[in-house]
Amino acid sequence: MTSWEAGTTASTGPASLIPHPRPAPDPLRGAATGDPWWMDTMDAVIRTCQAHGRADLAERLTRRRARLLHPQLRVLVVGPAQQGRSRLVNALINASVCGVLPDADTGVPTVVRHADTPTAHLIRRDSPAADWTAAVGLQARIPLVPERLGASLAEATAALPAGAPVHVDVGVPRSLLAGGLVLIDAPALTFAAPDRAVTAAHDLADRAGADLVVYTCETGRQLSDDELTVLTGLGRSFPGLLVVLTKADYAPDWRRDLADSRLRLNRAGIPAAVAAVSSSLRLHAVRTGDDALNRESGFADLLVHLRKMVEAKPDRLARATAGALGRLAIQELAVPLRAELDSQGDGFSSDAAAHLQATHRRLDDLRKCTVRWQNRLSDEVADLMSDIEHDLRERVKALLAEADEFFTTNDPAKSWDEFEPWLREALQELATTSMTWLAERTEWMARRTADMFPPEAGDVLPSTALAITDGGTLQGVSTLDAPPVATFTPGQKLFIGLRGSYGGVVMFGLATSLAGMSLINPISIGGGALFGGKSVRDESKTLLKRRQTEARNAVRQHVDDIFTRLNKDARDSVRRAQRALRDHFTAVTEDLQEETMESLRNAKAAADRDAAARDAHGRRLRDELTRLAELHTQAQALTDRARA
Amino acid sequence: MISEELERRTHDLLMRAAQVYHGHPNADGRLRHTLDRFAGPLRLAVAGAGRTGKSTLVNALVGEDVAPVGQADLVTYRDGTELRAWSRPEHGRPYEVPVARTSGGLRLDTPVPRAVVQWPSRVLRRTELIDTGPSTPPGQVLPEADAVLLLTPRIGEPDLDFLRAGRGLRGPAAFPIHVFVVLTKADMHGDGLPDGLLEARRIARRRRREPAIAALCQDVVAMSPLIGHAARTLRDDEFRALAAIAALPRTASDPSLLSTDRFTAAGALPVVGARARLDLLQRFGLGGIRLALALVRTGAATTSALAERLQEYSGLKDLQASIAELFVARRAALKARSALIVLDHLLRTERVAASGHLLAELELLLAGAHDFAELRLLSALRSGRVALPAETAREALRLLGGAGTSLGERLGLPTEATMDDIWAVAEDSAERWRREAGLGDRTPAQRRAAAVVLRSCEAMLAGAESMPSVTG
Repeated sequence: MTSWEAGTTASTGPASLIPHPRPAPDPLRGAATGDPWWMDTMDAVIRTCQAHGRADLAERLTRRRARLLHPQLRVLVVGPAQQGRSRLVNALINASVCGVLPDADTGVPTVVRHADTPTAHLIRRDSPAADWTAAVGLQARIPLVPERLGASLAEATAALPAGAPVHVDVGVPRSLLAGGLVLIDAPALTFAAPDRAVTAAHDLADRAGADLVVYTCETGRQLSDDELTVLTGLGRSFPGLLVVLTKADYAPDWRRDLADSRLRLNRAGIPAAVAAVSSSLRLHAVRTGDDALNRESGFADLLVHLRKMVEAKPDRLARATAGALGRLAIQELAVPLRAELDSQGDGFSSDAAAHLQATHRRLDDLRKCTVRWQNRLSDEVADLMSDIEHDLRERVKALLAEADEFFTTNDPAKSWDEFEPWLREALQELATTSMTWLAERTEWMARRTADMFPPEAGDVLPSTALAITDGGTLQGVSTLDAPPVATFTPGQKLFIGLRGSYGGVVMFGLATSLAGMSLINPISIGGGALFGGKSVRDESKTLLKRRQTEARNAVRQHVDDIFTRLNKDARDSVRRAQRALRDHFTAVTEDLQEETMESLRNAKAAADRDAAARDAHGRRLRDELTRLAELHTQAQALTDRARA
Repeated sequence: MISEELERRTHDLLMRAAQVYHGHPNADGRLRHTLDRFAGPLRLAVAGAGRTGKSTLVNALVGEDVAPVGQADLVTYRDGTELRAWSRPEHGRPYEVPVARTSGGLRLDTPVPRAVVQWPSRVLRRTELIDTGPSTPPGQVLPEADAVLLLTPRIGEPDLDFLRAGRGLRGPAAFPIHVFVVLTKADMHGDGLPDGLLEARRIARRRRREPAIAALCQDVVAMSPLIGHAARTLRDDEFRALAAIAALPRTASDPSLLSTDRFTAAGALPVVGARARLDLLQRFGLGGIRLALALVRTGAATTSALAERLQEYSGLKDLQASIAELFVARRAALKARSALIVLDHLLRTERVAASGHLLAELELLLAGAHDFAELRLLSALRSGRVALPAETAREALRLLGGAGTSLGERLGLPTEATMDDIWAVAEDSAERWRREAGLGDRTPAQRRAAAVVLRSCEAMLAGAESMPSVTG
C-alpha cells in the first residue's frame, strides 16, 4: 500500500522530518558527533526551570535529556482499544508477541527489543508511576517461556494482584530491532474522562520512556474530537508523531479516510504524519514471502520511516525534541509570570494604596467634624445661658415669695436676727445649687460636643474638671443690715399717748361737764386714758406695717443685687467654659489633624515605595519574560534546524 | 394471560388517570397521547453513534431500502398501504410532506426534525421502527420508543451512559427490559475472515454476562448490519457474481480477496466486471464477500439458500429471534412499561387531589407486575448469568414464555390439550418448582430464579382457573 504521504502542508512540523536530506553541516559549529548544541539549550532550559522553582519540570526534562542521549529509539504504539496496536507491532517484527492474552482490552503492555535469542520476562514495576526503563531487581523479573508466551503470561499474571503495574519485556532476534529500535505496545487509551485523557496519555508516554509516538486508529471511522485533543498534546512534546490508520485492507475507502484524517489533523494544527497500513496483509506477505504484498501493506514505508528515525535520533530527532520540550517548558514557566504581570496592570489595589485612601478619608472626616463641633458648642452655650438665667430667676422668685410671707407675720424689728441668717443661708444654697447645676450642664455640653468627633479619635473630653465657678459661694455678699426703721421709743409712746388722751379727756370732760362735773374728772381722765391707749396702739401698728414694707423692700433689693451678680457670674462661667472647651477641642482637632497628616505622609510614602517596588518587580518580570523569549527563540531555532 | 392482566390493569389505570386529569393543561394531552400509543403497535428505536450502521440495520430488518431518510433526524417507519410521509413537529399537529424514493433511501423535500414514514411492509405491522440521528440524545430517543436497539462497535462509556439514562432507580423504569445492545462491525473481527463473526459472537456472550452491562440491558447481540442487509436484499445478479468467483480455484481467487484494493483492482477476477465488484464490495464489505464465497463453496447453491445462510451467519437471524422473543412477544409488557413511566412521572410532577391514590395503585400494579421479572429472568437465563442444569433451564425458559407466551406453549402442551391436562401439568410444574426453590444446595440466584418460575406457574394455574372455557 503506497500510502506513505507526508502532511499536506510541509510547515506543520516534523511531518516533513524524513523526506528531506540532512542539512549541510554548519562550518562554524564543527560537525562533531551528534549535535551538542541542543544539549546546551536543554541545559539552559533546565537551569531556568530550577531557577523558577519548578523542580518537577526540570526533573522531567532531565529525564528526557538522558533518554535523548540513549542510543535506543523507543517507539510507543498507543491508541484506543481494538484499533490494531498489538497487531501493528506483531506485523512489524513478524512475531506474535503482543496481545497474546485472550481478553485484549485488559492486555499487558509489551516492550519489544532486540535480543540474540528469544527471551521474555514479566517486569513488575515498583509503582504505577515508576519509569519503565528503570532497572528492576531479579525478583521483579518473572521469566516467561517465549515459545508459549500467551500461556505462561496468563499463568504469571494470574499470580499477581489485579492492577499491579507490570509489563512484558520481550527480546527477539530481528535485524530491524538490532539498530536500537524498541517497540512498545501500550495499554489502550480510554476517553471516559476526556479532560484526563491528555494527561494520562502524556504520563504513559513519559513513563514508558518513549522517544517517538505512533497513534493507531482503524480506517472506516474518523478521529474523534477527544482523540484530536490527545494528539495535540502528544504532538507538542513528541515531535515525529505518527498517526497510523490500521486495517486498511478491509475498508473500501481507506484513501478517503486517509485524506480526511490528514485534513482533520492539519485543521487542528497537529504536526503529525499519517500513514495507512494493513497488518494482515503484512503478516500474509511475510508468511508467503510476497514482496509486492508487503509493499501494498504499507509496512515497507513504515519500516523505512522507523529506520530513518533511529538514524535521526541523535541528531535531528533529538534537536526537534529538545526544541519542542524547551518551548513547552518555557511556555509553562511564562504562564505564571504573565499572569502576575497582568494582575499588576489591573491598577492600584495594594494594601499601601488602600491605607492611603483610608487616611485621606479620615482627614476629610476630621474637617467636617471641626465645623460640626463648633456649631454644636455655640448652640449648647446659647441654650445654657438662657436656661441658667431662667433657672436663677425662678429660684429667686421662690425665695422672695417666702421672704414676703415671713414679713407679713413677723416684725422685722424683732425677728430680723432670726431672718437674716436664714436669708443668707437660702441665698447661699441657691447659689450653690445653680452653680452645681451649671457645672453639670457644662460637663454635659462638653460631652455632647465631644460626641461630634469621629470614634477613632478616642477620648477627647477635657481631662481636668472644668473650673467654671468659684464654688458658687457668695463671697463679698454683705450681710443684709436691718432696715432703718423708726423704733417706738417710750418717749414717743408717752407723747402719742398723751396726744391721744388729750382728745378723750376733752371729749369726756365736755360730756361730763354737762353733767356738772368738772372738765377734769375721773370719767374724762378714764376716757382720756382710753383714747391715749388706743392712739398708742394704732401708732405702733402703723409703725409695724411700715417696718415690714421696708424690710421687704430691703430684702427685694438685696436679692435683686445677688441675682444680678449670680447671673453675671453664671454667664461668665459659661463663657469661660465655652472658651476653655473651644480651646481644648481646637487643640484636640489640631492634634488629630497633625496625626492624620503624619499618617497620610507615611501612607503616601509607603504607596510610593510600593509602586516603585511593583515597577521594579514588573521590570524584573518583563526581563525574565524576555530571557524566556530568548530561550524560546533558541529552542524554536533548534526545531527549525531539525526541519531544515 | 399474565401479559393480558398487566395490559388490562395498565389500561384501566391510564383511563382513570385520564378522567382525573381531564382538562389539565399539562397532563391531559400527554395522557391521551400515551393512551393512543398504548393501543398502537410496539415502537422499536435503533440508536447509536454515527457510522454504526443504524440505517443499514433498519433496512435489514424491513428487508427493503427505506433508510436513511435524508433531511430528518428521527424517523418512524410504520406499516401502511402506500409510501407517504409526515412531518411531526414537537409541538403542533403533523402535516404531510412529499417524499421520493432514491437509490440511497428516501428523500423528503423539506428538512424536518421528526418524520413519520408509512411503508407497506409486513415487518412493520406489529412493530414500528424508529431510526435516530447520530447525535440524538437518549432523552429524545427513550420517550419515543418502547424498546431500543443500541448499536455500538464496542461497548464504551457513552453507551453505558445511554443505558443508564434509560434505567430509573425506582418505579417502572427500574426494569431494563427495553434495550438490547447490538455489537455491530462483527465482520471486522479476526481480520474480517468468516471466523471473525464467531469471535464477535463469543465476545457478545461474554459481555452480556458482565454484571455492569447485564444490569442495564436485556441482551447483547453481535451482528453485522452490512452483511445482514445485503443478505436480506440479496439479488440474483449478486449471487451469480459471487458464484462465479466461488467457482474459481482458491489459488486464483484468494490473492484478490486479501484487501479491498486487490478486490477492486482492474485486472483482478476477470470473471466479474470491475463495476460489479465495486458494487459487491459496497454491499457486502470484504468480510461479507469472503463469508458469502465460503458459504457458496460449502453448498449454498441458490440465491435464497445463500441469503438464508448469510442472514444466519451475519447475526441477523439471532437478532430477529431475540426481538421476536423478548420484544414483540412481550410488547404488552413493554408498552405497559413505557406508559407507566409517563404516568409515574405525571403523577409525581402534576399533583392533584387524586394523584396520591393513583400513585399507590400504580405501585401496587408494579409490585404485581410479574411480566417484568419474567423478562429479566429470561434474559439472565439466555445469557447464562443464572446457571441452571441444562434440562431445568430449558423447562424454565419454556415456562417463562421464552418459546411462546400462550398457556399451551408455556406448558409444552399441544393445542388440543384439554383443560384438565393443562391444569394437571401446571400443577405438576408448580410443585416441581416449589421444590426447586427450596433446595438447599442451590445458590441464592438460582433460588430466586426458581421463585420467579414458580410464580409463573401459579399465575398459569390462576389463569386456567379463571378461564374454564378453554377448549381441548
